[in-house]
Amino acid sequence: MNLSAYADDDSVSRPVGLTALTAAITRRLSVPELQNVWLTAELSDVNVRGGHCYMELLEKNPSSGQPVAKARAVIWANYFTRINAEFRAATGQPFTSGMKVMLRGSVSFHSLYGLSIVVSAVNPAYTMGDLEQRRREILMRLKREGVLELNRSLTCPTVPLRIAVVSAPTAAGFGDFANQLFTHPSHLRFTCRLFPAVMQGEQAPGSIMAALDAIAGEYDLWDCAVIIRGGGASSDLAAFDNYDLASHIAQFPLPVIVGIGHERDVTVLDYVANMRVKTPTAAAEWLIARGTEALGRLQFIASSMLQSLTDRIAGCRSQLAHYSAMLPMAPTNAIARCDSRLRQATMTLAGIGGRRIAPELTRLTHKAEAIKVAADNLIARQKDRLNNREGLIDAYSPMATLRRGYSITSVDGHALTSVNDLTTGRTITTTLADGTITSSITNIHVTES
Amino acid sequence: MSQNHKDFTPVSELTYNQAVSELDSILRMMQSDQCDIDRLTAYTRRASELLRECRSRLTATDEELRGILADLTENV
Repeated sequence: MNLSAYADDDSVSRPVGLTALTAAITRRLSVPELQNVWLTAELSDVNVRGGHCYMELLEKNPSSGQPVAKARAVIWANYFTRINAEFRAATGQPFTSGMKVMLRGSVSFHSLYGLSIVVSAVNPAYTMGDLEQRRREILMRLKREGVLELNRSLTCPTVPLRIAVVSAPTAAGFGDFANQLFTHPSHLRFTCRLFPAVMQGEQAPGSIMAALDAIAGEYDLWDCAVIIRGGGASSDLAAFDNYDLASHIAQFPLPVIVGIGHERDVTVLDYVANMRVKTPTAAAEWLIARGTEALGRLQFIASSMLQSLTDRIAGCRSQLAHYSAMLPMAPTNAIARCDSRLRQATMTLAGIGGRRIAPELTRLTHKAEAIKVAADNLIARQKDRLNNREGLIDAYSPMATLRRGYSITSVDGHALTSVNDLTTGRTITTTLADGTITSSITNIHVTES
Repeated sequence: MSQNHKDFTPVSELTYNQAVSELDSILRMMQSDQCDIDRLTAYTRRASELLRECRSRLTATDEELRGILADLTENV
């Protein structure tokens, strides 16, 4: 190398040690612009070692997603314990790669490790806002794609009894869930199989989707899928705010029930799943409630049936009792009714008779008297007339005629008026005024007319 | 009883929902005035058969449940 090139540079003859140089850098960093400044960045390669938290801070180009700035950062153990507790209390999550954070840091330069930002405070509100924003974006996208409501609008079977469970096999959550299901006093007949999945960290979404695919492959064997995660362990929920997983669940053919968090933790899965519960135990309780509701309905039907059966039979029985009480009295009553009708008729008739007959009788009496009077009168009148006519009778009597010389000829007591019936030799009687002559017919002469 | 079997679908061939809605309609029929007393026994028998079937589909014996739980925890 040709040193003469630097011949005009004074410093070339007095080089400084690296330590002196880095010390100079460190000194230069002690300006207010680089100490205790609030900055925002995205976390990457988060790594906790020996109580200290090491990480990379990134800034990405919003449109391309390519990093445009990158710096190492550290939270020393004495800060990290408190910062981590506060952060988790507020956001429900630990520091995770991909998370956006607002932190207060000072730029420092270590002679061995180089430039890094030493973090002394974190503002969890910023991260919460960011998570919420991300969640909203996922939900908006699902809505745009028309899948957001798909799983929610599936009708859960009246009594879901065949349960496919997605959970970490070792998690206490699955044990709680199964215990709750199978020791409940209602004795509901649940069928349950575990489809194991990783339930935390970056592998969780892929692993859960694989388990769901296995269930979907035999979906006619199951009534619903339950995704549960026990509490107690790290409440790393960021993995669940995942577009792919949410979209998978939204389009899942069976109703999905998620119970992966606690009261205040909400992930996008809670918005797309058919049913959202807080804990595995709550998921079991929800399923049991459906079952006991159905049992209650059966109980209700049974008791209503018994009631209406009892009512019905009691009704029939009292009807029969009524008839059997009425029957013996019925003929007597019928006779009594007829009798009273007859009596009534008689009385009516009598009344009518009395009213009609009495005037008739009076009229008859009057008539009888009138007849008697009329007869007497008639007799009297006839008597008078007879008296008047007595002389006439004498004058017209046959005796007077006989006395005047006429006679009556008779045969066998019958007066003769014609010779036609007579024969010679018969005896005839001739009556005169003072006696009779008996003669025999000797000759019959018919007068020519 | 033979009459019973001729008129009704065997309970084992019904879905749970079909069984429950048949129960409902028997109940409604029993509560109505049109209920034929002659058929009451047949309907009651049918209803109790349906109820028994529905209950047994929903519930398992203690023993069965303990068995299932043991299987599950073993697999875990």
